[in-house]
Amino acid sequence: MANIVIMPRQGQSVESCIITAWQKKKGDRVEIGDILFSYETDKSAFDEPAQVAGTLLAVLAEEGDVIPCLDPVCVIGEPGEDISALIAKKDDAAEAAAPAAEEKAAPAQEAEPTATESTGERIFISPRARRLSLETGVDLTKVKPTGPHGRIIERDVDKALDLGYTATTAAVESFLAGKPMPAEEPEAAKAEQQPAQAAPAAAAVAADDLLAYDEEPMSAVRKAIAKAMCASLSEMAQLTLNTSFDATNLLAYRAKLKAAGEELGLSKITINDMVLFAVSRVLPKFPEINANLVNGAFRKFRHANIGMAVDTDRGLLVPVLFGAEKLSLADLSALAKAKAAKAREGKLTPDEMHGGSFTVSNLGSLGVESFTPVINPPETAILGVCATVNRVKADGSVYPAMGLSLTFDHRAVDGAPAAKFLKELSTALENFDLLLAK
Amino acid sequence: MPKSQYIDPGKVFEPGYIDFDSIPLCRYNKTIEEEKQIYSKSDFMRIYHDMRTIREFETMLNEIKVKSEYNGVKYNNPGPAHLSIGQEASAVGQAYCMDINDFQFGSHRSHGEILAKGLSSINKLDDTELYDIMKEFLDGAILKVVEGKQANPGSVKDLAKDFLLYGALAEIFARTTGFNKGLGGSMHAFFIPFGIFPNNAIVGGAAPIALGAALYKRANHKKGIVVANSGDGALGRGPVLEALNFASMDQITKLWGMGGKYPDDGMPILFNVFNNFYGMGGQTLGETMGYTYPARLPAGFTPSAMHAEKVNGYDPLAVIDATTRKKELLLNGQGPAFLEVATYRVSGHSPSDSSTYRTPEEIEAWKDADPIPAYRRKLVAAGIAKDEEFAAIDEEIVNRTVKIIKLAIDDEISPRMDLSKQPDMISSIMYSNGHVKSMDTTREPEVLIPKEEDPRVKQIASKARYAFDDKGEMIPKMKLYNIRDGLFEAIIDKFYEDPTTIAYGEDNRDWGGAFAVYRGLTEALPYHRFFNAPISESAIVGSAVGYAVAGGRAIVELMYADFIGCAGDEIFNQLSKWQAMSAGILKMPVVLRVSVGSKYGAQHSQDWTALCSHIPGLKVCFPATPYDAKGLMNQALNGTDPVVFFESQRIYDKGEEFHKEGVPEGYYEVNIGEPDVKREGKDVTILSIGAVLYRALDAAKKLEKDYGISAEVIDARTLVPFDYSKVIESVKKTGKIVIVGDAVDRCSVMRDLASNITEMAFDYLDAPPAVFGSRNWITPAFELEKYYFPQPDGIIDVIHEKLMPIPGYVPTYNETELEHIERAKKGV
Repeated sequence: MANIVIMPRQGQSVESCIITAWQKKKGDRVEIGDILFSYETDKSAFDEPAQVAGTLLAVLAEEGDVIPCLDPVCVIGEPGEDISALIAKKDDAAEAAAPAAEEKAAPAQEAEPTATESTGERIFISPRARRLSLETGVDLTKVKPTGPHGRIIERDVDKALDLGYTATTAAVESFLAGKPMPAEEPEAAKAEQQPAQAAPAAAAVAADDLLAYDEEPMSAVRKAIAKAMCASLSEMAQLTLNTSFDATNLLAYRAKLKAAGEELGLSKITINDMVLFAVSRVLPKFPEINANLVNGAFRKFRHANIGMAVDTDRGLLVPVLFGAEKLSLADLSALAKAKAAKAREGKLTPDEMHGGSFTVSNLGSLGVESFTPVINPPETAILGVCATVNRVKADGSVYPAMGLSLTFDHRAVDGAPAAKFLKELSTALENFDLLLAK
Repeated sequence: MPKSQYIDPGKVFEPGYIDFDSIPLCRYNKTIEEEKQIYSKSDFMRIYHDMRTIREFETMLNEIKVKSEYNGVKYNNPGPAHLSIGQEASAVGQAYCMDINDFQFGSHRSHGEILAKGLSSINKLDDTELYDIMKEFLDGAILKVVEGKQANPGSVKDLAKDFLLYGALAEIFARTTGFNKGLGGSMHAFFIPFGIFPNNAIVGGAAPIALGAALYKRANHKKGIVVANSGDGALGRGPVLEALNFASMDQITKLWGMGGKYPDDGMPILFNVFNNFYGMGGQTLGETMGYTYPARLPAGFTPSAMHAEKVNGYDPLAVIDATTRKKELLLNGQGPAFLEVATYRVSGHSPSDSSTYRTPEEIEAWKDADPIPAYRRKLVAAGIAKDEEFAAIDEEIVNRTVKIIKLAIDDEISPRMDLSKQPDMISSIMYSNGHVKSMDTTREPEVLIPKEEDPRVKQIASKARYAFDDKGEMIPKMKLYNIRDGLFEAIIDKFYEDPTTIAYGEDNRDWGGAFAVYRGLTEALPYHRFFNAPISESAIVGSAVGYAVAGGRAIVELMYADFIGCAGDEIFNQLSKWQAMSAGILKMPVVLRVSVGSKYGAQHSQDWTALCSHIPGLKVCFPATPYDAKGLMNQALNGTDPVVFFESQRIYDKGEEFHKEGVPEGYYEVNIGEPDVKREGKDVTILSIGAVLYRALDAAKKLEKDYGISAEVIDARTLVPFDYSKVIESVKKTGKIVIVGDAVDRCSVMRDLASNITEMAFDYLDAPPAVFGSRNWITPAFELEKYYFPQPDGIIDVIHEKLMPIPGYVPTYNETELEHIERAKKGV
């Protein structure tokens, strides 16, 4: 019997995904585990393996289509099998869903309260699985229950975690309390529908060549960035402190690594790695900076979980270097490289990007001398690393000065402690060889 | 089954008659002039004094119960008061004959008995001994009360009378300064330094216990006799009849001497029935019994009819006369003896008794015959004392009684236990938790051969103490040191260490116990330390209680756990409770071995651990390996607490499969209360009770092999006490637990464990703890047992249905929740 493959739901907050590529085409033979298609959420990219073997009988969506989660994407069965009933059902479902979507689109703005209303459905979950969910922040909507009575048990949570489904603890708590996961989707869903409505209008004025443009929908990642950045700036009291430090020692050490480190495997250590290293050592001394501010409460992290801004084709991604304060410079460097590579390949899982306590963003290599980095919520500060310029000392000597820009949330941290942090970080960087000895 | 006694078919069928000797009824006929040759004036007066003291004490309690006031002292006593007004002459007459080392066990109407014995002891002890006893008892707590508040405490004997009355009354009023800190109460007051042993609220309960104390004297060659008091109502009770028979066993005089090697005396016990004609409201004469005279009974037990006679219990001199003669018989090795002391209870059964079962005329007639004024008149008439002298005694007694009740109701002087300030006071005395290698270090144990020469010891020496050889192959069973051997080793070691240790039960000697644990003990031990008991479970367990209370250590056996019901009261009310009811004064070093059967159907295959675990005061073990069996038995035998030791007939021949170094030959202990991880795992925990351990291990192996599930198997080993920490630790790791055992599921210990684990580890549980016991049925025949007792497949079924569905698994049995709801609905 033929099987419908649906768009998986990758988290309660995800309502739809973009199909980025088909790996199989209609008529292809499919074995269990073969990748059918690749798709993206606003945060990550995934491949969908086949759960059954057979022939791909129908492809119901094209590359670039935005498919609501749980909607049919393709059909696998035996050649010659009549799948009209299945497809019809899909169409029915689509028709039935269409008016609903329209209805939803109209009152979406005032539909906010539904997010906090109880869903009325009890979550059947074992105490152990519940505890584990809260500890790990698993995305419970992704957990497939396999316990007695359809109860979620530990192994189900473990499996979802293995697949990288995480959410914030607050979201898990809320879900366990019978409320939907705090929803980002209504906004996202709205945004997705706008281009579709705007497209005909754009076509109408396309006659004027001078005004011609290529319309491209915002990618999911772009939307997520847009949303996060707007939220960051609108909800926080952000301000930026700028300083610079004498990078003579730092650059000398870097030169030494480059020259002598080849055989030791240390030559790939970058200035940015060294800054990350210094940050990881200074950060634990400033618990209010190494923190998240959530619902009026500080989460002062016990480890330096440093987010590292990585520029990718999809947009800005921030993998987290967990427990950086315990890593050696070489290990930290290696980890940072691995994460950056994964980010560029779109292979980061959600939990690799969740749980940061502080972020470092580096525009120095692009010659930026100072900037105002935007805090990655719910963190309380972000460090911008700037370019190195030559400066003259009072005695006329010239030294390389590297700029640092610290943006902090004044709700969480006052100016003086933020300045002290910058000062201590500068001192650490100026005496990098000594820092290593600690 | 001694081979020396031949049962000859030629004689068994010989014709003839059973002849009975006549049983004397009230044959006392001494004149007062004759008695004057025996008693001094002070003896005569003391008898009056003691009877009058009891009368005043009981009257005081009656007034308090009925009017809440006695001689102007107001008090309300909500506790029981089973009074014996009218029976004073019987009690005093008996006690008069008893020495300190004669033990008295009483009925639940025993105030008079304990006061009489106490007063008798006070008279017989010299002042120094008496004062030392009072000073040492409960660190002088009672002495401090009776001595401290008086300007002039008088002589030591006067002080001792205050001590006795106060200790008893404070006990009745549940004060910490009572003889048992108020934990015994009216029906259980006793005072061992005066030879007053526990009285019993269970009618007839003291009979087998007194038998055990007599057995202690008999087996350990101790001086003195034991008196087992009971009312006439108690003669309808099985344990009393069992005790009468047990005490009369032929072997005591015919076999225990072992050809002159040891004494062949009879059991030094006097069964003394205070016949007041009513068991509460049921009239034993003419209504609930058919014997007419209780004294008729012993004719059914021994050819000597236990030297039974009936005596006038309203005449203290007649009682003394008869009791003295019985005591002489016992001291001459002619026990047991039986005495019916006819008396009458003028007071009600309790103060709430309106005497609807008897006429006012009957009561009045007995009041007219009141033994105290009658005795007084007799002495005045004989010119022994003047009436004023008696009046002076009366006044002294009333004054003493008023003084004592004032002390006993004073909350400052006589406080009750403060369980809010000292919440652990009762907890701390539920067990004595002693560690005593020998209950009597002054003498060598009596044995027949050196231990090394024992045939069983020699046989065990050649056995493999670990079950597998170098190649990991199981050694043949015949060559394996097994659970039987482990138990035997611990027990024979104790026999050679503690001279008081005795063992008995059904088929123990010669046969070696029905399951051969004791094989080899017959060769090593004299009869009086190791013998066959009659099929009398009440007497077996009850006598062990008395044996321990008297100072010895007993190992008794019930052939099947199913017979626990036959010894119900002895296990549930006596063995379990006396340590705590005595406020920790008594110790109870008794190991009760019970074997759990299989293959033998509904009345021989039951695991009744739940019944014993339910009762506070017992320790309950159920080992499943030779190492644990020996180690737990060692600790049980070295302890001072009652341990019910469950053994499974399925696994007596199991070798040691867990301790690679083998079961140690020397002494070691396994802590009672500690479960043991028999197999480590990480996905699911199986907690097993008893023999099901091996089925649990089979299930664990299958889970690992077929489904990649790693099961941890924990052997409970002990059920009470129970340290949950290892189990909780395991559950924290696995999140899942199934508790298995051969007991029926409903109200089992498994259910109790499951409930507690749920409470203790809720946040760590991935599913509610599952329980897999036997079905709530009768045990079917062996061939059908797999549908009844938990099997390895069933254990996996339960894990699949209730803890973690196993992909692709097909259950063998129906252990689904729906099925369980249906079963519960039907009560099965």
